[in-house]
Amino acid sequence: MPRTTTLDCPGCPPLRALTFDSLGLIKVVEARGEQGGVSKVVERWGDPDASKCVLAASIDDSKNDPLLAVARKSGLIEILNPLNGDLRVSISNAGDAGARPEDDGIAGLHLFKRQRMESSRSCTLLTCTTKGNASMRSIDISNVPSESSSNGCLKSWNVCASGTVLCSKVDRNENYALFGGKGIEVNVWDLEKCMKIWTAKPPPKNSLGIFTPTWFTSATFLSIDDHRKFVAGTNNHQVHLYDTSAQRRPIMSFDFRETPIKAVAAEPESYNIYIGNGSGDLASVDIRMGKLLGCFIGKCSGSIRSIARHPTLPVIASCGLDGYLRLWDIKTRQLLSAVFLKQHLADVVFDSAFADKEVAPAAADPLVHEVQNRNDIEEHEAETMPMKRKKAPKGKDKSKTKASKENDESKKLKSKKKSKRVTGDSHDDDS
Amino acid sequence: MAGKRKKSESEEINEGEKENNKNNENSNKKMKKEILPSMIKNKEKRSAVHAKLKHEKKVEKRKKLKARDAAEKRALELGEEPPPRMTPRTIENTREPDETVCRPDDDELFAGNDADEFSSILKQESTPKILITTCRFNSTRGPAFISELLTVIPNSHYYKRGTYDLKKIVEYAKNKDFTSLIVVHANRREPDALLIIGLPDGPTAHFKLSKLVLRKDIKNHGNPTGHLPELVLNNFTTRLGHRVGRLIQALFPQSPEFRGRRVVTFHNQRDFIFFRHHRYIFETKEIKGSESKGKKAKDAKSERVTQEKVIARLQECGPQFTLKLISLQHGTFDTKGGEFEWVHKPEMDTSRRRFFL
Repeated sequence: MPRTTTLDCPGCPPLRALTFDSLGLIKVVEARGEQGGVSKVVERWGDPDASKCVLAASIDDSKNDPLLAVARKSGLIEILNPLNGDLRVSISNAGDAGARPEDDGIAGLHLFKRQRMESSRSCTLLTCTTKGNASMRSIDISNVPSESSSNGCLKSWNVCASGTVLCSKVDRNENYALFGGKGIEVNVWDLEKCMKIWTAKPPPKNSLGIFTPTWFTSATFLSIDDHRKFVAGTNNHQVHLYDTSAQRRPIMSFDFRETPIKAVAAEPESYNIYIGNGSGDLASVDIRMGKLLGCFIGKCSGSIRSIARHPTLPVIASCGLDGYLRLWDIKTRQLLSAVFLKQHLADVVFDSAFADKEVAPAAADPLVHEVQNRNDIEEHEAETMPMKRKKAPKGKDKSKTKASKENDESKKLKSKKKSKRVTGDSHDDDS
Repeated sequence: MAGKRKKSESEEINEGEKENNKNNENSNKKMKKEILPSMIKNKEKRSAVHAKLKHEKKVEKRKKLKARDAAEKRALELGEEPPPRMTPRTIENTREPDETVCRPDDDELFAGNDADEFSSILKQESTPKILITTCRFNSTRGPAFISELLTVIPNSHYYKRGTYDLKKIVEYAKNKDFTSLIVVHANRREPDALLIIGLPDGPTAHFKLSKLVLRKDIKNHGNPTGHLPELVLNNFTTRLGHRVGRLIQALFPQSPEFRGRRVVTFHNQRDFIFFRHHRYIFETKEIKGSESKGKKAKDAKSERVTQEKVIARLQECGPQFTLKLISLQHGTFDTKGGEFEWVHKPEMDTSRRRFFL
């Protein structure tokens, strides 16, 4: 049989993904065009520096004023603007005196979406270090980007006495968080009361009387049943399904290949999950039965560190130690596109606001009360630079920031301008 | 049945005709009327026809070569540029384009180099110290190979394996400040795999080892001196290759003693890494008049005065072997919980012109 020399990639729908790597770089990958856009790196933020190695990242991709939180190896947590990479706030995670940040890196990071609606000038972060120090803090994001020591309303607690935390996730409604790791059974916490509400029990010894030590490497909530069901992957290549309302032992577990499960992601409104392991195998599984639906085949050779599901499009992204960002179709399990990003990648997130940028920047207008003075200035500076790529996201931001300052007349003018731009954009995309 | 066969035969003849048309030779025209050698059923006859065809081809090729040489010579005599030589198409130079090939203008590559596990050794901030051990069972060629490895790699120490776990050995070597650990694995008393582990947290490379020839089996072999060797790493082009190259580079001291005229080569070709170990010497040699006649015209201006030429002579001093990368693991040796940076998978073999190193 003749071997095909090229794997044809049909290209992916318009999307925007951000990847974080071991040199602390953030790379923006965009695919444009309606049918079969080729994804490529459009921007690179930051300078290569090994001490700034990214450990975890989280995005709040709301329509107005999106934010991106990045935890670095040096103990810094940076909050950026995911549209242009401007640093908003950077805070140090050195909570305890004497503990070096390198020893106690951040294992889990989550940027809350909900709380920011109430007070637009601050955001809430949940961080968890490998030693189990979890803390929730709200950060003022309107001030100048510097070491802001004033992180108000800090709630902190200890998840575990010993062991290392390796995974932490927050459920969809952002009321509960789960933690797990090496030597730590999965436990669920109520974030409002800071109380542990549930702990898993280790699975029983097997028929030979051998007990496998607890070592969770990844976990995710199944989004259909809010916080009660979740999936955890272990170091000895097992995937467990837990139901907190049923029992403390896994209600279902199955094996997948022979290397540790390094990433798990759930499909919203469905029972399918995606699992990636240490030798680069990515598969889709129906969690009700533990039935393997199929593998994603595409020359993926390095450990998968992160899987992200696009909120609207039927696309998942995987990245890992082989330095590739791969975009897959969910239905056909076909590789849509692969981008070589040169470094060991730690995390990937989707910017879901990107897809509708061409269509409706006007929709984002009514909420114009959020003004960042600093941002405003920067936007104006950036405007002068002819940057083709940024056109669409800029348009939206600009409109938001300007409109607040200027009076109604200019607003009308702007809307005209905007509509022009919109049409121009659509033309661009058609061609 | 018969009709079918006839049909297939006629097809074959048609194919033969096409080929003959391509060749466009008189002798082959005669052949066209006849049949291809593969269609002859009598073996003796078939082999005779085949031999004849082959001989014809050979003669033709020789004629072509002669004509090309003559044309070149004539061009030289006339003082013209000789016609450019054709480069043969090989698997290497028709390699599939690979986006992971390192580029010299890539700043991320150099930043990554500074940050990786080997940078302290390669910047000569620390000296490499190597621990060599074997698998549990080890005899005949294994120890002989290790004793030769000990002469090749400076500052390497052999430790008996005993019945220790490899993870324990890794811990021990970390505590003793070793920078690398090499495990020679043998199967049926024949070394067949090599494990190179960077310490304390460097990657683990698993190689298949084949074509091992020990020093005493190499004809006219030399004996290496105790000088620090020079290191030649060829063709490690991609990101993965670069990393493997650096792993190998970190086994050797970074300050070669050129007086020793001793060179260790790791040559990568089609993902196979060939290891050779040589001594070299520079000799001045008088060029005889008759020998240099052909080159005279070329060298006339430069070499006429001295008639002497410096040539390098090589003497191989073993061992020689071939490595093929099976997997590259992130972190030290861990079969159960290890994360791989690269593993070979069958689905990656889509073409024989695709290489990873």
